[in-house]
Amino acid sequence: MELWKGTLDSLVLKTLSGGPMHGYSVTRWIREQSGGTLEVEDAALYQSLHRMERRGWVESQWGRSENNRRAKYYRITVRGRRELRRQTGEIRRYVGALFQVLETEIA
Amino acid sequence: MSERGFRGVGRIVRFRRPLREHVARDVDDEIRFHLERRAEELVAAGSSESEAHDRARAEFGDPGRASQTLRRESGRTERRFRLAEHVGNFRRDLRHAARSLAKTPGLAWMIVGTVGLGIGATTAMFSVVHAVLLRPLPYPEADRIYRIYTDSPPYEWPFSVADYQALEEQQTRFETVAGYANVTMTLNRDEVAERLTGKTVTWSYFPLLGVSTVLGRGFTEADADPGAEPTVVVSDRLWNRFLDGDPQVIGEAVRLDGRIYTVIGVLPRNVGPLEADREFFVAAQWGPPPRRGPFFIRALGRLEPGTDPATAQEELQIINRRIFPLWEESYQNQDASWGMMDLKRQVLGDVGSTLVIVLGAVAFVLVIASVNAANLLLARVANRGRELAVRAALGASRKRLLQHLWAESTILAVCGAMLGLLVAVLGIWLIERFGADYIPRAQEIALGGPVVWFLLAITLGSALLFGLVPSVRGGRARLEQTLRSGGRTTTDAVTSRRLRRALVVAQFAIAAPLLVGAGLLLGSLARLQRVDPGFDSRNLLTAGVSLPAAAYPETTDILSFLDEAQSRIEALPGVSAVGFANGRPPDHYPMENNFDLVDRPVPAGSTEPSVPWISATPAFFGALEVPLLEGRTFDETDVAGDAAPVLIVDHTWAQRFFPGESALGRGVRQGGCPTCTPFTIVGVVGSARYTGLDDPGGGTAYWPYWPLLGTDRQGYFFMRTSVDPLSILPSMRAVVREMDPSVPVENAATMRELLRASLDTPRYLTVLLSGFAFIALLLSIIGIYGVMSHFVQRHTRDIAIRIAVGGRPARVSRTVVGRGMRLAGLGVLLGIGASFVLTRFLSALLFEVGSTDPRTFAAVPALMVGVAILACLVPAQRAAAVDPARILRED
Repeated sequence: MELWKGTLDSLVLKTLSGGPMHGYSVTRWIREQSGGTLEVEDAALYQSLHRMERRGWVESQWGRSENNRRAKYYRITVRGRRELRRQTGEIRRYVGALFQVLETEIA
Repeated sequence: MSERGFRGVGRIVRFRRPLREHVARDVDDEIRFHLERRAEELVAAGSSESEAHDRARAEFGDPGRASQTLRRESGRTERRFRLAEHVGNFRRDLRHAARSLAKTPGLAWMIVGTVGLGIGATTAMFSVVHAVLLRPLPYPEADRIYRIYTDSPPYEWPFSVADYQALEEQQTRFETVAGYANVTMTLNRDEVAERLTGKTVTWSYFPLLGVSTVLGRGFTEADADPGAEPTVVVSDRLWNRFLDGDPQVIGEAVRLDGRIYTVIGVLPRNVGPLEADREFFVAAQWGPPPRRGPFFIRALGRLEPGTDPATAQEELQIINRRIFPLWEESYQNQDASWGMMDLKRQVLGDVGSTLVIVLGAVAFVLVIASVNAANLLLARVANRGRELAVRAALGASRKRLLQHLWAESTILAVCGAMLGLLVAVLGIWLIERFGADYIPRAQEIALGGPVVWFLLAITLGSALLFGLVPSVRGGRARLEQTLRSGGRTTTDAVTSRRLRRALVVAQFAIAAPLLVGAGLLLGSLARLQRVDPGFDSRNLLTAGVSLPAAAYPETTDILSFLDEAQSRIEALPGVSAVGFANGRPPDHYPMENNFDLVDRPVPAGSTEPSVPWISATPAFFGALEVPLLEGRTFDETDVAGDAAPVLIVDHTWAQRFFPGESALGRGVRQGGCPTCTPFTIVGVVGSARYTGLDDPGGGTAYWPYWPLLGTDRQGYFFMRTSVDPLSILPSMRAVVREMDPSVPVENAATMRELLRASLDTPRYLTVLLSGFAFIALLLSIIGIYGVMSHFVQRHTRDIAIRIAVGGRPARVSRTVVGRGMRLAGLGVLLGIGASFVLTRFLSALLFEVGSTDPRTFAAVPALMVGVAILACLVPAQRAAAVDPARILRED
């Protein structure tokens, strides 16, 4: 299932809210948590990461991966957490409203 | 993941992010890492190596395109980080610099104060120069406006009606010509009578200048018809003050000099320099003239666009030659021609050079203040050698060290600029308030855009000077050596010391011309104050009156008013003598008249001499105590209707035209009128000055209030008193009011005040320049004192050794003073040399003092060297007092 427009950032932020990760584990984590339902295009994910870095929602640092290779780690910032809360609330309201309309009995 | 786990990762991942050099490489590495990890995973799940790679790439999307996008995004992030880094560094530097400056508040205040004052004063003066000299006059296309006059070097005479009408009819090079004459009239309203300054203008005057009224209309050709109903255009000020700012004022009548004028227009609040001090404008109604004179019209012309001024000038001369034969009866001066001059040059007069001199002087003060700041900061860097060395040892790059030093300069410069802005605002306010009488266009001075840019530019220049010089030392010092030598400055500070010495030399070199200039002006002012005005100026009150033409149509009316007023005022207690004249020393005379001697006529067609011409009552000379040297003063017979015309001249006049002979009984024809009855000289009196204390003048002629002379209704009472002259004024006013309430008493002042006021301009200039020179000298002293103190401090050990091996303390202090003198001496020498060139610009402002006055040029170096010695004596004493036992035991 493809992601709805504008929801990728919130997924990535949520993923990083657990702790620093490199891009690859972010994709894997999202795939695992959604039980494979959500498909994230890798290129889009990296674009999201870089865009959010510019906006100061995440920050990055080169480090060593589990098998000791050079990897770029991302960490959510305080502003990123605030953004995550905002986006989560927004999505919740959006989906709620959507359901309200979709499940209305039409006489 | 918990916060703890977070910290665990933090060990591998330090999130204090260093700046990245290779954005592109990083992006590619990141993508490659992802692809490899995905491929590994797929291989682990059973795919073949190549299959896995292909699938990883396919899942990723388009890695090539992604890389492009990511590089762009990453690059932007990087730039932001770099900027943040710089800002962060700079803020840290600023905080640190502020703290370290706060440790030496005296130094910081000294630099901010002197530099700020310099910036402010220079900016204020620049705003004046910009508004007055650089900007065009506030008329549309003002560069096409010229003043046209009769050129008879050294004089530039106004035009007459005949001249103006000929110009108007015959010229072809000007789009428009206009003429005006400044007039004063009495405005009467209810019981109030007030003298107002205004202009009589041709109807083309406002269109030529491009001035339009905010209410009503300007003049039309019909207003200029002789016999048309009199009309007046009023200034915004007069409209508000006298006509209550009433928008319905157009068409109302006002009474000027007893005549009814209809108000037809109101000028805008902001007007050009020709209108600035004028309250009303009335239309000139000039009929055909009976003769060439009198000459009272100031003519203006607006050149046709694209016309060469030289061709217009040529045409003016041709017209003058053409009309010459028409008026040969009444005007014979063939030497005189017509000329024209840029209106701006004419408005400015000679004030431009004074302004530029003052601007130059304040700029010198700013430079010297900046040099002083550089010197102080350099000493500070030298003293902080150890601190800087430690910072360098801890890994601060040379660039960062310089940035740190620059932060201090930035703080000082910004504070200096803020103080400067304050000083500039205050200065501009002062100049507008008190300078308007001396500076034309003063009302146009403002702190506008170019002035603010100027302030920023000179702040930057000053900051570069006092910021760069110390950083030469701060950056170049061999820091590790400093560190090793325990922070005591060693040979590595040679550059710094050379620089400091050079700065002291520069300070003295810059201060010298300022002191010389101030000295010359002071000498000149002292001489001006000693000038004998030609009469006794103590206990002398003067007050002006003007008699309305309507009430005093004939000279006999004027004379009877004056007679009665004189005797009534003389009867007041405390008054011993009263006279009346239409001119007032030291700098006001009503007109300058040309004349010819009956015995020695000027050759036909040449320019006649001219001198100030004054109408005086017989009692005038006695009241002023102008001594009678020969003959007699006026008496009642001179003012009788059929009296023979008589003249009194002053000593200067007599010496000029009849050197070594008596001027008594000589005949004089006045006003270029060869057919008029000549005047006979009946007396020679002492020379009083009417053209300013600084001008010995070419003599003065007096004539009596004489019925045939026509009607000059304006003049001054001169009251010799035995008490404080100002105490007489109220009763004198009462006398005049009692006689005629419509006659205003104005411009009352004691002669002492007038003499003093006439020297205001040179006095202000002298005070200003002396103040600047004093500040410059003070800063130079601070400079040399600082350098010599440092010298002694640095050589304490050497001095101790010298004293220990038997050197006499007196010799030690002589050495110190001698060293200081070499610097001061070199600076003074350079500065005095420069002064010989620079003071030439002052020569027009000097009175009886040469621009290379030997006394000033000897006194200034002596003064400078003297104070420099005093400044060096303190460190010299300290050197002599060195206790070798204590110093040498210290190490």
